[in-house]
Amino acid sequence: MIGETLTLKVAAASAISPSLRHLRLVAADGSKLPPAAAGAHVQLVLKGAARTHRNAYSLISRAGARDAYEIIVRRVPSSRGGSAFIHEQLKVGDVLEAGWPGNLFAPVRTARRHLMIAGGIGITPFLSYLADFALGGADYALHLCCREDEQHVFDPWLAGKSGVSVHWDADGRRLDIPALLAAQPVGSHLYVCGPAAMNDEVLELAAAAGWPASHVHCEHFGSALSGGEAFRAFLAKSGVEVSVGEDESLLEAIERIGVKAPCLCRGGACGVCATPLLDGEADHRDHYLSAAEREAGRLILPCVSRARSGRLVLDL
Amino acid sequence: MLHSDIKSRPTYTQLEPDLSGSQHLLIVEGDTVLPGRLDSLAGTFAPVEENLHTWLVGTQAGGLGLGKVWRLPGVADVVDAFACATRGYGIGDRLYVQGTEPFLWSVAKAAAIIGFSAEQIHLHHAGSLRRRVWCTHCHTVTEDVTTSIASCSGCHRHLLVRDHFSRRLGAFMGVMVDAEAPGEVPAVEESFA
Repeated sequence: MIGETLTLKVAAASAISPSLRHLRLVAADGSKLPPAAAGAHVQLVLKGAARTHRNAYSLISRAGARDAYEIIVRRVPSSRGGSAFIHEQLKVGDVLEAGWPGNLFAPVRTARRHLMIAGGIGITPFLSYLADFALGGADYALHLCCREDEQHVFDPWLAGKSGVSVHWDADGRRLDIPALLAAQPVGSHLYVCGPAAMNDEVLELAAAAGWPASHVHCEHFGSALSGGEAFRAFLAKSGVEVSVGEDESLLEAIERIGVKAPCLCRGGACGVCATPLLDGEADHRDHYLSAAEREAGRLILPCVSRARSGRLVLDL
Repeated sequence: MLHSDIKSRPTYTQLEPDLSGSQHLLIVEGDTVLPGRLDSLAGTFAPVEENLHTWLVGTQAGGLGLGKVWRLPGVADVVDAFACATRGYGIGDRLYVQGTEPFLWSVAKAAAIIGFSAEQIHLHHAGSLRRRVWCTHCHTVTEDVTTSIASCSGCHRHLLVRDHFSRRLGAFMGVMVDAEAPGEVPAVEESFA
Protein backbone atom coordinates (compact mmCIF):
# COMPACT_ATOMS: atom_id res chain seq x y z
CA MET A 1 0.00 0.00 0.00
CA ILE A 2 2.04 2.87 -1.35
CA GLY A 3 0.56 6.35 -1.27
CA GLU A 4 0.62 9.62 0.60
CA THR A 5 -1.64 8.21 3.25
CA LEU A 6 -2.46 4.77 4.63
CA THR A 7 -5.94 3.27 4.80
CA LEU A 8 -6.35 1.32 8.02
CA LYS A 9 -9.12 -0.89 9.30
CA VAL A 10 -9.97 -1.47 12.96
CA ALA A 11 -9.29 -5.20 13.44
CA ALA A 12 -9.90 -5.27 17.19
CA ALA A 13 -10.88 -2.84 19.92
CA SER A 14 -11.09 -3.41 23.65
CA ALA A 15 -11.46 -1.40 26.82
CA ILE A 16 -8.45 -2.08 29.05
CA SER A 17 -9.79 0.34 31.69
CA PRO A 18 -12.81 2.67 31.91
CA SER A 19 -10.84 5.42 30.16
CA LEU A 20 -8.36 3.46 28.02
CA ARG A 21 -9.16 1.80 24.71
CA HIS A 22 -6.76 -0.49 22.88
CA LEU A 23 -6.96 -0.59 19.08
CA ARG A 24 -5.41 -3.00 16.63
CA LEU A 25 -5.27 -1.47 13.15
CA VAL A 26 -4.44 -3.38 9.98
CA ALA A 27 -4.11 -2.33 6.33
CA ALA A 28 -7.65 -2.11 4.89
CA ASP A 29 -6.58 -3.96 1.74
CA GLY A 30 -4.96 -6.76 3.68
CA SER A 31 -1.41 -5.85 2.61
CA LYS A 32 1.59 -5.26 4.85
CA LEU A 33 2.02 -1.96 6.69
CA PRO A 34 5.17 0.17 6.52
CA PRO A 35 7.45 -0.83 9.42
CA ALA A 36 8.11 1.64 12.23
CA ALA A 37 10.91 1.76 14.80
CA ALA A 38 10.53 1.93 18.58
CA GLY A 39 9.09 5.28 19.71
CA ALA A 40 7.18 5.94 16.46
CA HIS A 41 3.70 7.43 16.23
CA VAL A 42 0.96 7.41 13.64
CA GLN A 43 -1.43 10.23 12.81
CA LEU A 44 -5.07 9.19 12.51
CA VAL A 45 -7.76 11.16 10.67
CA LEU A 46 -10.85 10.92 12.87
CA LYS A 47 -14.02 12.07 11.13
CA GLY A 48 -16.30 13.10 13.98
CA ALA A 49 -19.84 14.38 13.56
CA ALA A 50 -18.93 18.05 13.98
CA ARG A 51 -15.46 18.09 12.47
CA THR A 52 -12.37 16.15 11.53
CA HIS A 53 -9.62 15.54 14.07
CA ARG A 54 -6.04 14.53 13.28
CA ASN A 55 -4.42 13.06 16.34
CA ALA A 56 -1.02 11.40 16.71
CA TYR A 57 -0.75 8.23 18.80
CA SER A 58 2.36 6.28 19.82
CA LEU A 59 2.61 2.80 18.38
CA ILE A 60 2.91 0.17 21.09
CA SER A 61 3.40 -2.67 18.63
CA ARG A 62 6.74 -4.39 18.31
CA ALA A 63 9.25 -2.33 16.32
CA GLY A 64 9.25 -3.43 12.70
CA ALA A 65 5.86 -5.15 12.93
CA ARG A 66 4.06 -5.04 9.56
CA ASP A 67 0.88 -6.97 10.34
CA ALA A 68 -0.76 -4.36 12.57
CA TYR A 69 -0.33 -1.04 14.37
CA GLU A 70 -1.49 -1.09 17.98
CA ILE A 71 -2.32 2.00 19.99
CA ILE A 72 -3.86 2.80 23.38
CA VAL A 73 -6.06 5.88 23.59
CA ARG A 74 -6.97 7.68 26.82
CA ARG A 75 -10.40 9.27 26.89
CA VAL A 76 -9.65 12.85 27.92
CA PRO A 77 -12.51 14.66 29.71
CA SER A 78 -11.48 17.95 28.11
CA SER A 79 -11.05 16.23 24.76
CA ARG A 80 -11.76 18.32 21.71
CA GLY A 81 -13.37 15.25 20.23
CA GLY A 82 -10.58 12.99 18.98
CA SER A 83 -10.37 10.64 21.94
CA ALA A 84 -14.15 10.80 22.49
CA PHE A 85 -14.64 9.73 18.86
CA ILE A 86 -12.32 6.74 19.32
CA HIS A 87 -14.04 5.72 22.55
CA GLU A 88 -17.66 6.24 21.54
CA GLN A 89 -17.97 5.84 17.79
CA LEU A 90 -15.16 3.78 16.37
CA LYS A 91 -16.15 0.12 15.79
CA VAL A 92 -14.36 -2.99 14.62
CA GLY A 93 -14.39 -2.98 10.81
CA ASP A 94 -14.34 0.84 10.50
CA VAL A 95 -11.84 2.29 8.06
CA LEU A 96 -9.56 5.23 8.93
CA GLU A 97 -7.18 7.34 6.97
CA ALA A 98 -3.73 7.65 8.56
CA GLY A 99 -0.38 9.25 7.85
CA TRP A 100 2.80 7.21 7.52
CA PRO A 101 4.44 6.50 10.84
CA GLY A 102 6.83 9.20 12.06
CA ASN A 103 9.37 8.98 14.84
CA LEU A 104 10.46 11.87 17.02
CA PHE A 105 11.26 9.80 20.07
CA ALA A 106 13.53 6.95 19.05
CA PRO A 107 15.83 5.41 21.66
CA VAL A 108 19.50 6.42 21.33
CA ARG A 109 21.42 3.40 20.10
CA THR A 110 24.74 4.42 21.64
CA ALA A 111 23.24 4.68 25.16
CA ARG A 112 24.87 2.50 27.85
CA ARG A 113 21.64 2.52 29.78
CA HIS A 114 18.10 3.66 29.01
CA LEU A 115 16.16 5.28 31.87
CA MET A 116 12.47 5.78 31.07
CA ILE A 117 10.02 7.76 33.19
CA ALA A 118 6.38 7.53 32.15
CA GLY A 119 3.36 9.38 33.48
CA GLY A 120 0.15 7.37 32.98
CA ILE A 121 -0.68 6.91 29.30
CA GLY A 122 2.78 8.38 28.59
CA ILE A 123 3.96 4.79 28.90
CA THR A 124 2.85 4.03 25.32
CA PRO A 125 6.08 4.87 23.48
CA PHE A 126 8.00 2.86 26.09
CA LEU A 127 5.97 -0.28 25.43
CA SER A 128 7.59 -0.42 21.99
CA TYR A 129 10.98 0.40 23.54
CA LEU A 130 10.67 -2.58 25.91
CA ALA A 131 9.96 -4.99 23.08
CA ASP A 132 13.01 -3.61 21.29
CA PHE A 133 15.34 -3.71 24.31
CA ALA A 134 14.32 -7.27 25.12
CA LEU A 135 15.70 -8.31 21.73
CA GLY A 136 18.88 -6.24 21.90
CA GLY A 137 19.83 -6.96 25.50
CA ALA A 138 20.12 -3.26 26.38
CA ASP A 139 20.40 -2.16 30.01
CA TYR A 140 17.25 -0.25 30.94
CA ALA A 141 14.82 0.73 33.68
CA LEU A 142 11.24 1.87 33.28
CA HIS A 143 9.49 3.84 36.00
CA LEU A 144 5.75 4.19 35.51
CA CYS A 145 3.97 6.80 37.62
CA CYS A 146 0.22 6.29 37.45
CA ARG A 147 -3.00 6.25 39.42
CA GLU A 148 -3.14 3.41 41.93
CA ASP A 149 -6.16 1.85 40.21
CA GLU A 150 -4.28 1.72 36.91
CA GLN A 151 -1.19 -0.05 38.19
CA HIS A 152 -2.08 -3.31 36.42
CA VAL A 153 -3.61 -1.89 33.27
CA PHE A 154 -0.44 -2.27 31.23
CA ASP A 155 0.47 -5.71 32.62
CA PRO A 156 -0.21 -7.49 29.30
CA TRP A 157 2.70 -5.56 27.79
CA LEU A 158 4.91 -5.64 30.87
CA ALA A 159 4.58 -9.32 31.71
CA GLY A 160 7.93 -11.05 31.97
CA LYS A 161 9.84 -7.79 31.55
CA SER A 162 12.44 -7.02 34.20
CA GLY A 163 13.44 -3.50 35.17
CA VAL A 164 9.89 -2.16 35.43
CA SER A 165 8.76 -0.29 38.57
CA VAL A 166 5.31 1.14 39.17
CA HIS A 167 4.73 4.17 41.41
CA TRP A 168 1.66 6.04 42.58
CA ASP A 169 0.70 8.78 44.98
CA ALA A 170 0.88 7.05 48.37
CA ASP A 171 3.49 6.89 51.11
CA GLY A 172 6.24 4.50 50.14
CA ARG A 173 5.05 4.30 46.53
CA ARG A 174 6.07 7.69 45.18
CA LEU A 175 9.02 7.91 42.81
CA ASP A 176 11.97 9.81 44.29
CA ILE A 177 12.98 11.45 41.02
CA PRO A 178 16.03 13.41 42.30
CA ALA A 179 17.50 10.26 43.89
CA LEU A 180 16.84 8.25 40.75
CA LEU A 181 18.45 10.83 38.46
CA ALA A 182 21.50 11.20 40.72
CA ALA A 183 22.21 7.47 40.72
CA GLN A 184 22.64 6.91 36.98
CA PRO A 185 26.00 5.96 35.43
CA VAL A 186 27.82 7.79 32.63
CA GLY A 187 26.43 6.93 29.23
CA SER A 188 22.82 6.85 30.46
CA HIS A 189 20.03 8.41 28.41
CA LEU A 190 16.82 9.68 30.01
CA TYR A 191 13.43 9.58 28.28
CA VAL A 192 10.35 11.14 29.80
CA CYS A 193 6.78 11.07 28.53
CA GLY A 194 3.87 12.20 30.64
CA PRO A 195 1.68 15.18 31.50
CA ALA A 196 3.31 18.57 30.90
CA ALA A 197 3.86 19.32 34.60
CA MET A 198 5.65 16.01 35.14
CA ASN A 199 7.76 16.41 32.00
CA ASP A 200 8.81 19.90 33.06
CA GLU A 201 9.68 18.73 36.56
CA VAL A 202 11.82 15.82 35.33
CA LEU A 203 13.63 18.02 32.78
CA GLU A 204 14.36 20.62 35.44
CA LEU A 205 15.63 18.01 37.93
CA ALA A 206 17.82 16.38 35.27
CA ALA A 207 19.46 19.71 34.45
CA ALA A 208 20.00 20.36 38.16
CA ALA A 209 21.59 16.90 38.57
CA GLY A 210 24.10 17.70 35.84
CA TRP A 211 22.65 15.57 33.05
CA PRO A 212 24.07 16.67 29.69
CA ALA A 213 21.21 18.11 27.59
CA SER A 214 21.95 15.70 24.73
CA HIS A 215 21.16 12.77 27.05
CA VAL A 216 17.67 13.98 27.99
CA HIS A 217 14.68 13.31 25.72
CA CYS A 218 11.04 14.24 26.19
CA GLU A 219 7.80 13.61 24.35
CA HIS A 220 4.85 15.86 25.12
CA PHE A 221 1.18 15.18 24.59
CA GLY A 222 0.05 17.89 22.21
CA SER A 223 -3.70 17.74 21.95
CA ALA A 224 -4.75 19.60 25.08
CA LEU A 225 -2.49 22.52 24.21
CA SER A 226 -4.08 23.81 21.05
CA GLY A 227 -7.37 25.41 22.14
CA GLY A 228 -7.91 28.99 23.29
CA GLU A 229 -9.59 32.21 22.29
CA ALA A 230 -10.88 32.45 18.73
CA PHE A 231 -8.86 34.59 16.33
CA ARG A 232 -8.38 35.28 12.62
CA ALA A 233 -5.47 34.39 10.38
CA PHE A 234 -4.74 35.63 6.86
CA LEU A 235 -2.85 33.24 4.59
CA ALA A 236 -0.87 35.60 2.36
CA LYS A 237 0.13 33.19 -0.43
CA SER A 238 -3.31 31.64 -0.70
CA GLY A 239 -5.03 35.01 -0.33
CA VAL A 240 -7.68 33.73 2.10
CA GLU A 241 -8.62 34.61 5.63
CA VAL A 242 -9.68 31.94 8.09
CA SER A 243 -11.28 32.23 11.48
CA VAL A 244 -9.89 29.85 14.08
CA GLY A 245 -12.42 28.60 16.60
CA GLU A 246 -11.89 28.21 20.33
CA ASP A 247 -11.54 24.45 20.22
CA GLU A 248 -9.60 24.02 17.01
CA SER A 249 -5.97 24.64 16.26
CA LEU A 250 -4.67 27.06 13.66
CA LEU A 251 -3.46 24.07 11.64
CA GLU A 252 -6.88 22.43 11.76
CA ALA A 253 -8.51 25.66 10.60
CA ILE A 254 -6.05 25.90 7.71
CA GLU A 255 -6.78 22.30 6.72
CA ARG A 256 -10.54 22.89 7.05
CA ILE A 257 -10.51 25.48 4.28
CA GLY A 258 -8.46 23.19 2.06
CA VAL A 259 -5.02 24.84 2.20
CA LYS A 260 -2.19 22.30 2.28
CA ALA A 261 0.17 22.69 5.20
CA PRO A 262 2.97 20.27 6.08
CA CYS A 263 2.82 18.63 9.49
CA LEU A 264 4.03 15.54 11.31
CA CYS A 265 3.57 15.35 15.07
CA ARG A 266 0.76 17.89 15.53
CA GLY A 267 2.03 18.47 19.03
CA GLY A 268 4.58 21.27 18.64
CA ALA A 269 7.57 18.95 18.83
CA CYS A 270 8.87 18.24 15.35
CA GLY A 271 8.94 21.66 13.67
CA VAL A 272 7.70 20.31 10.33
CA CYS A 273 4.78 22.79 10.28
CA ALA A 274 6.93 25.85 11.16
CA THR A 275 5.55 28.67 8.99
CA PRO A 276 6.88 32.21 8.41
CA LEU A 277 4.82 34.72 10.38
CA LEU A 278 4.55 37.97 8.42
CA ASP A 279 2.49 39.98 10.89
CA GLY A 280 0.80 39.65 14.25
CA GLU A 281 1.92 38.42 17.66
CA ALA A 282 2.01 34.68 18.30
CA ASP A 283 1.21 32.84 21.52
CA HIS A 284 3.94 30.21 21.18
CA ARG A 285 3.00 26.87 22.75
CA ASP A 286 5.47 24.56 20.99
CA HIS A 287 8.58 22.79 22.29
CA TYR A 288 10.54 23.40 19.10
CA LEU A 289 11.41 27.08 18.63
CA SER A 290 14.32 28.45 20.65
CA ALA A 291 13.85 31.40 22.98
CA ALA A 292 15.63 33.57 20.39
CA GLU A 293 13.31 32.39 17.61
CA ARG A 294 10.26 33.14 19.72
CA GLU A 295 11.64 36.55 20.51
CA ALA A 296 12.26 37.25 16.81
CA GLY A 297 8.60 36.42 16.11
CA ARG A 298 9.22 35.35 12.50
CA LEU A 299 8.00 31.75 12.79
CA ILE A 300 4.95 30.01 14.19
CA LEU A 301 4.00 26.34 14.67
CA PRO A 302 0.30 26.34 13.70
CA CYS A 303 -0.33 22.87 15.16
CA VAL A 304 -0.32 24.26 18.72
CA SER A 305 0.40 28.00 18.68
CA ARG A 306 -2.21 30.73 18.41
CA ALA A 307 -2.55 34.52 18.23
CA ARG A 308 -1.72 36.48 21.35
CA SER A 309 -3.96 39.25 20.10
CA GLY A 310 -5.82 40.20 16.96
CA ARG A 311 -4.89 38.73 13.63
CA LEU A 312 -1.95 36.73 12.30
CA VAL A 313 -0.59 36.91 8.75
CA LEU A 314 1.08 33.69 7.62
CA ASP A 315 3.24 33.10 4.56
CA LEU A 316 1.16 30.18 3.44
CA MET B 1 50.30 25.16 2.97
CA LEU B 2 50.52 24.60 6.71
CA HIS B 3 48.16 27.34 7.71
CA SER B 4 45.13 26.04 5.92
CA ASP B 5 41.46 26.91 6.32
CA ILE B 6 40.78 23.54 7.87
CA LYS B 7 38.29 23.96 10.71
CA SER B 8 38.51 20.50 12.23
CA ARG B 9 41.00 21.49 14.88
CA PRO B 10 39.23 21.81 18.22
CA THR B 11 39.35 25.04 20.16
CA TYR B 12 40.20 24.82 23.85
CA THR B 13 39.13 26.93 26.77
CA GLN B 14 40.37 27.81 30.24
CA LEU B 15 39.27 25.31 32.84
CA GLU B 16 36.60 26.29 35.28
CA PRO B 17 34.25 24.11 37.30
CA ASP B 18 30.81 23.45 35.84
CA LEU B 19 28.69 23.99 38.94
CA SER B 20 25.86 21.82 37.60
CA GLY B 21 28.17 18.77 37.86
CA SER B 22 27.93 16.34 40.78
CA GLN B 23 31.45 14.87 40.99
CA HIS B 24 34.43 16.62 39.39
CA LEU B 25 37.58 14.92 38.09
CA LEU B 26 40.55 17.10 37.14
CA ILE B 27 43.37 15.39 35.24
CA VAL B 28 46.56 17.37 34.76
CA GLU B 29 49.60 16.44 32.70
CA GLY B 30 52.21 17.37 35.31
CA ASP B 31 54.88 18.89 33.08
CA THR B 32 52.40 21.32 31.52
CA VAL B 33 51.84 23.06 34.82
CA LEU B 34 53.71 26.36 35.02
CA PRO B 35 55.06 27.46 38.41
CA GLY B 36 52.21 28.78 40.52
CA ARG B 37 49.58 27.59 38.04
CA LEU B 38 48.49 24.64 40.17
CA ASP B 39 47.72 27.01 43.03
CA SER B 40 45.70 29.16 40.69
CA LEU B 41 43.81 26.06 39.47
CA ALA B 42 43.17 25.19 43.12
CA GLY B 43 41.61 28.61 43.54
CA THR B 44 39.47 28.19 40.45
CA PHE B 45 38.19 24.81 41.60
CA ALA B 46 37.72 25.79 45.25
CA PRO B 47 33.90 26.01 44.85
CA VAL B 48 33.71 22.27 44.07
CA GLU B 49 36.63 21.07 46.22
CA GLU B 50 34.34 18.84 48.32
CA ASN B 51 33.50 16.78 45.24
CA LEU B 52 36.83 17.12 43.45
CA HIS B 53 39.34 14.44 42.55
CA THR B 54 42.66 15.45 40.98
CA TRP B 55 44.89 13.09 39.06
CA LEU B 56 48.43 14.44 38.59
CA VAL B 57 50.13 12.61 35.76
CA GLY B 58 53.86 12.28 35.09
CA THR B 59 56.46 14.76 36.31
CA GLN B 60 55.37 16.11 39.64
CA ALA B 61 54.48 19.72 39.89
CA GLY B 62 54.67 21.69 43.10
CA GLY B 63 51.62 22.77 45.06
CA LEU B 64 48.73 20.69 46.38
CA GLY B 65 45.28 21.06 47.78
CA LEU B 66 42.97 20.17 44.87
CA GLY B 67 40.52 17.90 46.62
CA LYS B 68 41.62 14.27 46.78
CA VAL B 69 44.88 13.89 44.87
CA TRP B 70 46.07 10.80 43.08
CA ARG B 71 49.42 10.55 41.30
CA LEU B 72 49.84 8.49 38.15
CA PRO B 73 53.09 7.79 36.24
CA GLY B 74 51.82 8.36 32.71
CA VAL B 75 48.89 8.77 30.35
CA ALA B 76 48.72 5.00 29.80
CA ASP B 77 47.87 4.67 33.49
CA VAL B 78 45.03 7.15 33.09
CA VAL B 79 43.66 5.15 30.19
CA ASP B 80 43.97 1.95 32.25
CA ALA B 81 42.32 3.58 35.26
CA PHE B 82 39.30 4.43 33.11
CA ALA B 83 39.22 1.06 31.38
CA CYS B 84 39.34 -0.86 34.69
CA ALA B 85 37.18 1.61 36.58
CA THR B 86 35.78 -0.14 39.61
CA ARG B 87 34.26 3.09 40.81
CA GLY B 88 31.28 4.00 38.68
CA TYR B 89 31.18 7.40 37.08
CA GLY B 90 27.85 9.23 37.12
CA ILE B 91 25.91 10.90 34.33
CA GLY B 92 26.22 14.18 36.26
CA ASP B 93 30.02 13.96 36.62
CA ARG B 94 32.40 16.38 34.92
CA LEU B 95 35.90 15.74 33.60
CA TYR B 96 38.47 18.50 33.17
CA VAL B 97 41.76 17.80 31.43
CA GLN B 98 44.84 19.96 31.05
CA GLY B 99 47.81 19.01 28.90
CA THR B 100 49.25 18.68 25.42
CA GLU B 101 46.89 17.72 22.61
CA PRO B 102 47.94 14.04 22.48
CA PHE B 103 47.38 13.84 26.26
CA LEU B 104 43.99 15.62 26.11
CA TRP B 105 42.65 13.32 23.44
CA SER B 106 44.04 10.10 24.93
CA VAL B 107 42.18 10.92 28.13
CA ALA B 108 39.03 12.16 26.35
CA LYS B 109 38.88 9.02 24.25
CA ALA B 110 39.33 6.70 27.26
CA ALA B 111 36.54 8.58 29.05
CA ALA B 112 34.27 8.43 26.00
CA ILE B 113 34.75 4.67 25.82
CA ILE B 114 33.23 4.24 29.28
CA GLY B 115 30.33 6.54 28.40
CA PHE B 116 31.29 10.17 29.09
CA SER B 117 29.57 12.52 26.65
CA ALA B 118 31.35 15.44 25.03
CA GLU B 119 29.28 17.83 27.17
CA GLN B 120 30.79 16.32 30.31
CA ILE B 121 34.40 16.80 29.18
CA HIS B 122 36.27 20.13 29.29
CA LEU B 123 39.71 20.32 27.67
CA HIS B 124 42.43 22.92 28.19
CA HIS B 125 45.51 22.85 26.00
CA ALA B 126 48.75 23.67 27.82
CA GLY B 127 52.44 23.02 27.29
CA SER B 128 54.04 21.89 24.05
CA LEU B 129 52.29 22.12 20.67
CA ARG B 130 53.70 18.69 19.74
CA ARG B 131 51.37 16.61 17.64
CA ARG B 132 50.33 13.04 17.22
CA VAL B 133 50.35 12.33 13.48
CA TRP B 134 48.36 9.66 11.68
CA CYS B 135 49.83 8.45 8.39
CA THR B 136 47.16 8.31 5.69
CA HIS B 137 49.22 5.71 3.80
CA CYS B 138 50.09 3.04 6.40
CA HIS B 139 47.78 4.23 9.25
CA THR B 140 50.64 4.24 11.76
CA VAL B 141 50.57 6.86 14.50
CA THR B 142 53.76 8.83 15.08
CA GLU B 143 54.02 10.54 18.46
CA ASP B 144 55.77 13.73 19.57
CA VAL B 145 56.01 15.41 16.19
CA THR B 146 57.25 19.01 16.42
CA THR B 147 58.20 19.61 12.78
CA SER B 148 56.14 20.64 9.74
CA ILE B 149 57.37 17.54 7.90
CA ALA B 150 58.06 14.31 9.80
CA SER B 151 59.20 10.83 8.99
CA CYS B 152 56.45 8.23 9.54
CA SER B 153 57.47 5.76 12.22
CA GLY B 154 55.73 3.02 10.25
CA CYS B 155 56.54 3.44 6.54
CA HIS B 156 59.23 6.16 6.80
CA ARG B 157 57.55 8.32 4.18
CA HIS B 158 58.07 12.07 4.58
CA LEU B 159 54.72 13.29 5.88
CA LEU B 160 53.40 16.83 5.63
CA VAL B 161 51.61 17.44 8.94
CA ARG B 162 48.27 19.01 8.09
CA ASP B 163 45.90 20.91 10.40
CA HIS B 164 43.25 18.30 9.64
CA PHE B 165 42.43 16.81 13.07
CA SER B 166 40.63 13.61 14.04
CA ARG B 167 38.98 13.57 17.47
CA ARG B 168 38.59 9.82 17.23
CA LEU B 169 42.33 9.31 16.81
CA GLY B 170 43.39 12.46 18.66
CA ALA B 171 45.80 12.95 15.77
CA PHE B 172 46.59 15.21 12.84
CA MET B 173 46.65 13.86 9.30
CA GLY B 174 50.03 13.28 7.68
CA VAL B 175 50.28 12.95 3.91
CA MET B 176 53.33 12.07 1.80
CA VAL B 177 54.95 15.38 0.87
CA ASP B 178 57.05 14.15 -2.09
CA ALA B 179 54.56 11.80 -3.72
CA GLU B 180 54.66 13.60 -7.07
CA ALA B 181 58.37 14.43 -7.08
CA PRO B 182 60.13 11.71 -5.07
CA GLY B 183 63.00 13.04 -3.02
CA GLU B 184 61.92 16.69 -3.30
CA VAL B 185 61.26 17.42 0.34
CA PRO B 186 60.69 21.08 1.29
CA ALA B 187 62.62 22.59 4.16
CA VAL B 188 61.58 21.15 7.50
CA GLU B 189 60.47 23.71 10.07
CA GLU B 190 60.20 23.34 13.81
CA SER B 191 56.53 24.37 13.92
CA PHE B 192 55.07 22.61 16.97
CA ALA B 193 57.70 22.97 19.68
